[in-house]
This record gives sequence, structure tokens and C-alpha cells, in this order.
Amino acid sequence: MDGIPDPDEFRADARSWLKGAATARAAHREWGRGDDSVAVFENWTEAEERAHTDRTRDWERTRYDQGWGAIGWPPEYGGRELPAYYEQLYRAEEAAFDVPRRTEIFPVTRQLVAPAIRIWGTDEQRRRWLRPMLRTDELACQLFSETEAGSDLAAVRTRAVRDGDGWIVNGHKIWTSGARVATWGVAVCRTDPEAPRHAGITVLLVRMDAPGVTVRPIRQMTGGSSFNEVYLDDVFVPDSDRLGPVGEGWRVTLTVLAAERLDSGGLGLDNADRALDLARHLPRPLTGGEQQQAADLFARALVQRLIALRVTAALAAGREPGAEASVGKLHATATMRATTDLVQQLLGPSLAADTGEWGTFAWTEHLLGAPGYRIAGGSDEIQRNILAERVLGLPKEPKGAGR
Amino acid sequence: MIRLDVDPAALSETDGQRQLRSVLRDLLGQYCGPVGVRAQVDSPRGFDQVLWNRLAREIGVHGLALPEEYGGAGYTYAELAVAQEELGRVLCPAPLLATVVLAGHALLVSGDQQACARWLPGIASGELTATVAGFLYPADVTAERGPGGWVLRGDADFVPGGEGADLLLVKARAPDGERLFACEPDGATCDRTARRVLDPTRRQALVRFRGARAEPVGEPGRAAEVVDAVLDAGRVALAAEHVGGSAHALDAVLAHVSRRTQFGRAIGSFQAVKHRLADLLVEIEGARSASAYASACLAAGASELPLAASAAAVVCTGAHRLATTEYVQLHGGIGFTWEHPAHLYLRRARADEALFGTGDDHRLRLAGLLGLAR
Repeated sequence: MDGIPDPDEFRADARSWLKGAATARAAHREWGRGDDSVAVFENWTEAEERAHTDRTRDWERTRYDQGWGAIGWPPEYGGRELPAYYEQLYRAEEAAFDVPRRTEIFPVTRQLVAPAIRIWGTDEQRRRWLRPMLRTDELACQLFSETEAGSDLAAVRTRAVRDGDGWIVNGHKIWTSGARVATWGVAVCRTDPEAPRHAGITVLLVRMDAPGVTVRPIRQMTGGSSFNEVYLDDVFVPDSDRLGPVGEGWRVTLTVLAAERLDSGGLGLDNADRALDLARHLPRPLTGGEQQQAADLFARALVQRLIALRVTAALAAGREPGAEASVGKLHATATMRATTDLVQQLLGPSLAADTGEWGTFAWTEHLLGAPGYRIAGGSDEIQRNILAERVLGLPKEPKGAGR
Repeated sequence: MIRLDVDPAALSETDGQRQLRSVLRDLLGQYCGPVGVRAQVDSPRGFDQVLWNRLAREIGVHGLALPEEYGGAGYTYAELAVAQEELGRVLCPAPLLATVVLAGHALLVSGDQQACARWLPGIASGELTATVAGFLYPADVTAERGPGGWVLRGDADFVPGGEGADLLLVKARAPDGERLFACEPDGATCDRTARRVLDPTRRQALVRFRGARAEPVGEPGRAAEVVDAVLDAGRVALAAEHVGGSAHALDAVLAHVSRRTQFGRAIGSFQAVKHRLADLLVEIEGARSASAYASACLAAGASELPLAASAAAVVCTGAHRLATTEYVQLHGGIGFTWEHPAHLYLRRARADEALFGTGDDHRLRLAGLLGLAR
């Protein structure tokens, strides 16, 4: 293929660019010092979330402006149009450098929303939105779930009614990550209450600073707030901000959800590695059972990485990933639970009461955060339905009322 | 942690591998269906000689991972893994694992060119069946130099395919330490007793050497190294077989639960069934990934092989256990009958855990390799 650099050459180039643009991480993070956070969901105040977002955004802009931010995208969007695999090659190099940890709003904007705009947007929308989103000048959150539309997302009740050259939106969205820092919200709205429920849906991009948009943080079981409720009261959205045809919103939504599943394969790996480090540094020998438990976690994490690589390989070969892509999230949430189980066994009482010792009580953040991912982004049960029906081809559930 | 420096392309199938898989699936579908397998198992040799020859000569399975100078095709273990997977899928009783992977690899890694030249071409062409003794379980075999050359004495048990193998590679205690020997057994100096086995598709024997003629293979002092390398190769090949067996179990269960109706519905429409099969799919995809990685490590002679082989053993053994358990359970009463093939798969899964170690054995080995056993 023309113009595609050799992978080793590409990695060397990325490394040399990173050396000039970022600081190298210490070769071996010293155990017992520095940040011991293993939070799955951050427990930040709004000011902290904004400050961290700004820091991350600075880095994302630097890499976008210097040609390392949209590796798989065509040049018109500031990219190099390299196979998807190259983004992961870049990431592998970046991992050796001290760059800000990306909070969820960044992958949501770049990996979920931007590709959906590329597929469903008009030329004008692509021109207007894609570069700013890839550069993270604009950040987009998902206005998807509602209190009565969780796993059954097609039951959304947020209404959008035609008003001249736009729409008036009224409704209540929930479980939105990053709503406090987002500039756009991708809202799944009901535009035709008479149509069969999947057919009456339209997707609109809502300015998060538009009059009538109110964001209220939800305090989750970790004690902090990573999610929000978003109230939409008579919010005006110009029709030029509608993504995809009227009544085709369900297909647009599925595009975003599929990307979300694909993007969840790496969840929990850092903390699994960290738990194995804990096992290695424990001031007493491990019992046989603990050794087996730790080894099992190692094998799980290895397999999770391999599954992600197989997905990459399929994409690189221009194939649609198959079963390997759909199993990723279920595998990932099980890894997170196995991490909790191992740490529980290794730490004993210091997980239940804070002795002040480094790297012990901090694990409660993982323990309390991990259950969230079994629910967010399609619960484990919904993932199993998807695998059973779409991958294994088993018969669908008999439909209840409302279908 | 492990530096996972693997080209993703090595984890997915090449066109050549896909072709090989399809050719094998056709051939095995024809000659090694459930009825065929039972007939082979009941035959004196325990496998189909005609199929064995076709696998070796028409498709060249035996020689896939052997160098061309010894009659092989010069491909890699990644190709051989495709064959193992397909053989595992149908429970083919042919002794490919023992002959090619265990004995063949032992000869190769011994570095003994004379021994390789003498026996590998026969292994590649299918003329020879072979196995290893004293590799998997400690055996009490000694080697001494007699007037007519070296002879072996002592017992080796649980020798896979040991009853009928033409060539035995034996780890034995020689005066200068443990050493590898090649023995072409004859009835006068070697008693071989077939054990009653849990898995009839993989025979095992107690081998008693009573002054059996043997020839040293490789330099003295290298036996432990060769045995370790052979066992890891065996684990990788077995992991591929387990992926095949598990995938067959899933396919068979899917067909059954889609067809079988109770309470007026296909039983596969109940979530209690669907979710279990979804979980099984997750395990099998994990097993497929671990197996592909381990095969790639073996093919490339990578230093991560011991880690990759044991991780694959953990993951693939677990998936196979689950798949074969569900194979029986989700078929209901019919799955518990002698006539249904499900129990043959369950027997294979459980018996194989005694071959190179259970999942828990491999977890302990991994812990040691990862520096967790202090």
C-alpha cells in the first residue's frame, strides 16, 4: 500500500515526537510513592473536573496540531488516513510518557460521536463539527438514558417538536458523563409519538449552553459525582443541528452504541496490573490459593488485551470485527470484579478500615466503582442478550406490551 | 507486566490457514464423524490408518511444522495449530499430538541432526507413529551401556499412544545424568499394556523396558531443557484442540436449543439458556485469543512461550470444561445417553487435564513465572 509507513518506523517516529512534546514516565513507577488512586470513576468537584479537562485538552490539541491526533482520519479532518491499528501503535508509545489521563468525555467525543457524525452528518455538519471535535475544542456528551428508558433505550420520552426552522426539546436525561464540561449533547429524542417506537426517534445535537439546559450532578455510590442529570426545558435546536434523517434516530443511536461496545475492551486493565503489583509487593508470601487467584487475574488481563488486538487486526484487514468485538465488555467487567476479589483477599482489614498506609484503602475506589461498569454502556445482561441474539442467532425474547 | 509486543495480524487467520481449515473440515467431516470416531476407537489400533495416511500425504498435516530438510513443509506451529483445532473439533483419535508435537518436537529441539534425519522423515510421511515416555510424569527408567549398545530398564506409565507407537522417546537416567533416548520397542524386551482410559479417543499405556535397545538422542545434560520445551509445545497444541472441541460443543448446543421446544417455545429463547451460552461464547473467544497468541509464540520461538503456554492452558482448559459441561446439560436427558457424543467430549476435556496439568496447576506455574511465588 502506498504512503503507509512500516509499523516499526511509525512507532520510532511517534517515540521521537513524544520525546520532544512530553516527559517520559519513570521506567519503573516506584512502589509505595506517588499517586495511589485506582478510581474507576473520578470523585471530582466541578472545578477539579474542569481543570483536569483543560489539561487534557491542551495535550489533545498539541497532538492534533502536530499530526498525531487523528491518525486514522482523512487529511481533510487533520488526519493521516492510516489503518486503525496505527492509533493503537501510537497509544502503546504514548503509554511510556507522562500525559494526562483521558476522562470519559474524550473517547466519547472522538471515538463515539465523531465517527457517527462522519457516517450520518451532512457535508456542512462534517465541516463544522469534525475538526473541532477531533481537536477537542468541542466536547460532546451522550444524552441517551432516561429514568424510564435504561436498558430499553427505545422507550425514550424526551420530546422534540417542530418549530419553524428548528425543534423545541423537552425532557429529562440521566447518567450523562461529562455533561459539566461538554459543549454539545447528542440527544435521542422522540419526534413522532404515533409511529412505532423505533421509527419515531430523531437525534439532535444540543448546545449544552443553550437556554433551558440544566445540568445536575448525581452522587454515585463511590461518594463522588461522575454522572449527571440533564434537564431540557423548551430548548431550541436549529434543524441544521439534527444528525441523520427525521425518524432515523434509532439507527444513528445504534451507530454510537456499537462504537461504545468496541471502545470498552480496555476497561479495568490498568487496575488489574496494579493489583498484580500489589501481590508482588505484599510484605508476606502469598498462599497457594492467592498465587492461583493472582495468576488467574494475569491470564484474564492478558486475554482481554489479546481480544482487543484481534479486533484491531480485523479492522486493519478491513473486516468487520465479529464475536471478538462483542465479548470485550463482558470480559472487561469480569476482569474488574476479579481485581476487586484479589485485592480484597490480599488487603484484608486494610481495605475495610483506613490505616493511612499507601496503596491500601485507596482500593475502595475500585471496589465501589467497578459495579458501575456492569450497568453503564449496556448492562451485562443486555450484553448477553446482544451476544445471544446477534452473534449466536438465538431466538428473540417474546415481546412485551409496547413493542 | 508482560510486554505484549505482538503484531495483531499474527492473531488472525491467514488465507492459507483458512484454506487448510476448510480442507480439513471437509475431510474429517467425511471420515471422522461421530459414528466414524466410535468405529475407530473400537478398532485394534484405535485410529483410522487410511485417514492417518491421507492427513500425512495428501494434506501434509504431519510435516507442517517440520523443516523441509527432514521431509516437512517448512511452515510453522501456527499452521499445525489449525490442524489440531480441527482434529479436536471432531475428537479425531489419530495420535498426531503424540507423534508430531511431542515426539517430533523432542527430536527437533534435541539438536541431534542424525536422529532428526533418521526419524523425522518417517514422522512427516505418516509411516511412523511415535510418542514420549517419562516426560509428563516422573518415570523410573535407567539407561546403561551394554555390550551391544545402550539398553533401557524400568517403567513409564501414562504414555500417550504408548501401546502402538513405533518409536518411543524416553527420558532415562544414564550414568552421566538424565538423557533422552530413542527406542524402537520390540515385544521381547518391552512390555506395553494399554490402560483402561477415561477418554477412549486418546489411548495410554504402561511401558515396561526390560533391557530394550535404545540410542541416545542429543547431548548429555540437555534432557530437562528438551522436556520443558516439548511440554510447552504440547500445551500449545492441546490448547488449540480445546478451542476446536469447545467450538463444536457450542455449535451442537446452539443447533439443539434452536430446534427443541418446551412450553411452546424454542428453549433457546429463554434467557436462562441464552445468557449461559453468551457466557460460554465469551470464554471461547478468550480461549481462541489465548491459543492464537501461544501458537504465535511457539511459531516465533518467543521468550514469552512458557507464560503464553501456561496462560493458554488455564484459559482453554477452563473453556473446554465449561463447554463440555454445558454440552451435556443443555441437551437434557438425550445428552446423558451413551449414544449421544456429548460424553465423549466431556471425557476428553477431563482426561486432557491430566495430560499437561489442570488449570490450577498452570495457575501455580504462572505465579512462579510472574514472580508471585516467594
